[in-house]
Amino acid sequence: MVSHCFSSKIGKALSHCLVLCALLLSAVAVAKPYQPSNDQQVLAVIPANARHTEKAARDLARQRIDVALRLVNGYINQARSTGDLRFLGYADAVLDPWLGDKPSADALVLHATILQSRHEFAAALQALDQALALRADDPQAWLTRATIQRVLGNYDAALSACTQLGKHASADIAELCTQSVRGLMGELPAAYARISALSSQAMPAALRAWRDSELGEMAVRLGQDDQAEHWFTNGLHFAPNDFYIKAAYADMLLRQHRAADVLKLLEGQESIEPLLLRIAIAQQQLHHPGLATSRARLAAAFAAEAQRGEGIHGREQARFLLEVQAQPQAALNAAVQNWQVQHETDDVLVLMRAAEAAHKLSSAQPAHDFVNVHALQDVRIGTLTARTAIGMTK
Amino acid sequence: MKYLRWCTVLLLFVLHSASAHIASNGFLNLQVEGRTLSGALELALRDGEMAVGLDSNGDGQITWRELRDHQPQLDAYLQSHLSIATAALPCKLNTQSLQVNERVDGNYLWLPITATCNERPDQIRIDYRLLDEVDPSHRGLLTLTAWGGVQTAVLGGKQPMRQFAIDQPMRWQVFKEYLSTGVWHIWSGIDHLLFLVSLLLPAVLLRTGKQWQPAPLAKPAFINIVKVVSAFTVAHSITLSLAAFDVIRVPSRLTESVIAASIIVAALNNLYPQVTEGRWRIAFLFGLLHGFGFASVLTDMGLPNGARLLSLLAFNLGVEAGQLAVVFAVMPLAYVLRATRFYRRGVMPWGSSAIAMLALVWLVQRAMV
Repeated sequence: MVSHCFSSKIGKALSHCLVLCALLLSAVAVAKPYQPSNDQQVLAVIPANARHTEKAARDLARQRIDVALRLVNGYINQARSTGDLRFLGYADAVLDPWLGDKPSADALVLHATILQSRHEFAAALQALDQALALRADDPQAWLTRATIQRVLGNYDAALSACTQLGKHASADIAELCTQSVRGLMGELPAAYARISALSSQAMPAALRAWRDSELGEMAVRLGQDDQAEHWFTNGLHFAPNDFYIKAAYADMLLRQHRAADVLKLLEGQESIEPLLLRIAIAQQQLHHPGLATSRARLAAAFAAEAQRGEGIHGREQARFLLEVQAQPQAALNAAVQNWQVQHETDDVLVLMRAAEAAHKLSSAQPAHDFVNVHALQDVRIGTLTARTAIGMTK
Repeated sequence: MKYLRWCTVLLLFVLHSASAHIASNGFLNLQVEGRTLSGALELALRDGEMAVGLDSNGDGQITWRELRDHQPQLDAYLQSHLSIATAALPCKLNTQSLQVNERVDGNYLWLPITATCNERPDQIRIDYRLLDEVDPSHRGLLTLTAWGGVQTAVLGGKQPMRQFAIDQPMRWQVFKEYLSTGVWHIWSGIDHLLFLVSLLLPAVLLRTGKQWQPAPLAKPAFINIVKVVSAFTVAHSITLSLAAFDVIRVPSRLTESVIAASIIVAALNNLYPQVTEGRWRIAFLFGLLHGFGFASVLTDMGLPNGARLLSLLAFNLGVEAGQLAVVFAVMPLAYVLRATRFYRRGVMPWGSSAIAMLALVWLVQRAMV
């Protein structure tokens, strides 16, 4: 019934509205404006490359494409390492004049990367098609394509992009690309073994961090938490600020009820929304007094995002509503919306959990189908599927 | 070497489609009241830095001092990147002193804004182009409130401009708004009340020879009060209506000064009684002037098309209700206390002197400014 309802337009609008209402209602407790009493009080720290003084470089980039591409590269790099969406906007502004009549392959690949980061997957794939038509041997284009197809759950398309990548990049990168996808297609233990077997000695730090984070997540799915912790810690050694590894690591710790370790791991990272979510869940486990603040700030941030009509943090929104706000119905609506955008393992999990909490198991049917079709292995899903099977026969 | 070069480039963009921070948002809250829109713009300090450059000493930190010092630049930036207009003409944007507000992704500058339009708007057009040259993904999240109805919109990017229909309020909403404005005006602008109180203080007394005596009966005291209040009401209603419909215009500086003078006269009349019988005549005469004072409030608010008479009536009723409430609160007490030394030797002379002094200060201020 519910899935019928959501498939109709009205149902969709209604569920959007419900999510927005749930978020707006919880966003009421926001601080009041004030005038600081101390002139020297520091109100903000400006990250490097986000200064007004760089206007000169941005102006020059309007005339010279080499300057523009270098600047865009730098901004995307910074967005990637800090998770700061504003840098994508800065990149967008510099790139925009070069996307006119006949954009170059370089510009198109960068454009696709920006679109991908905003979860505009269809538009990103289109830009990549254009780029590859101009330059079929562009490894970045193939890698980005593999990434997007993987997020969308189109594993065959992802694999063929990895194969193309192998023709133009090193064997290590192609293997990492291929095996990380195979690990989602019923070959998890074998894929885990093959990535572990890659020699990491010669790898640059960033590549090692990527490898370690893949291994960590695979270990989690295999139920080998000790191994996972080893890989996450290793990965953070090579990429200390990688918020993605931190989030995955924190999730594992939360599952083990090691909330104090989560707060230690994520200390000072409150301004990063997905990490603040993990902090809030940890605070909840600990009955920590900071929970009220974290909750209000998350609610305000999600409400603003919902008002913008973007679902960039759909997965986190659903988890917030489910695990912090205890609003299973709103969480389920958010998870259903998120499932329309992306199909990663975490998206499977949040949809199944929300459906279970809202006592609407049939809403998670698309996720169950997805798991069955791809023989997706994950001990966390295994438990849920078993419970669901019991619930359905009842 | 070649491998290493593109390998690092390659890895920049790998796999993680999750993003951490929230996108760049400005928050614009506006409330429509009469022909002005008031509210605030909130902008992340980081965005303020990108827009105008707040970090004067280039140390990567923005202090409260640096922020405050840039208010003129921020004001100018706002004037060139935000416009609010009615169907006919742009409204005039003004800002007040900056404040700071804390949000999930850091501190925001909080800039109070008023937009003054030439007419009560049926349509409002808002054009939001903040940050458009730096970050096209920046959006202005607008909350527009009019008559209790809330409209929201996301402005910026490829759609910086939106037009909003301001539903004309229901007649009872107009009535309610103007009624409450009337009450609020009489209570907050205490000059009208002090004038009335000065005239009413002796209403519970009788002047015999050179002495104030308590009025022996309630009825004459009551009639006294009714006469004064009614005369004041009738008088200011006349001039308020004339001014509201633009039949007569009196410069507000003159009105305000004469109102202050009227309070002095009324208070001095208690100390050195010239008019003891028929104080209602003073109430009437000066009430005419107070009416012009009330009218200036209505001129600021504007009278809604199609409901001019209704709103004028509601405002006037509000003023009456406000002043009657005060009369009902003060006069029974005065009646009870009228025989005491405290009232005749304390409240009458000292209260009246204090009122006269205060009014004198107002008179000087208003006449000088």
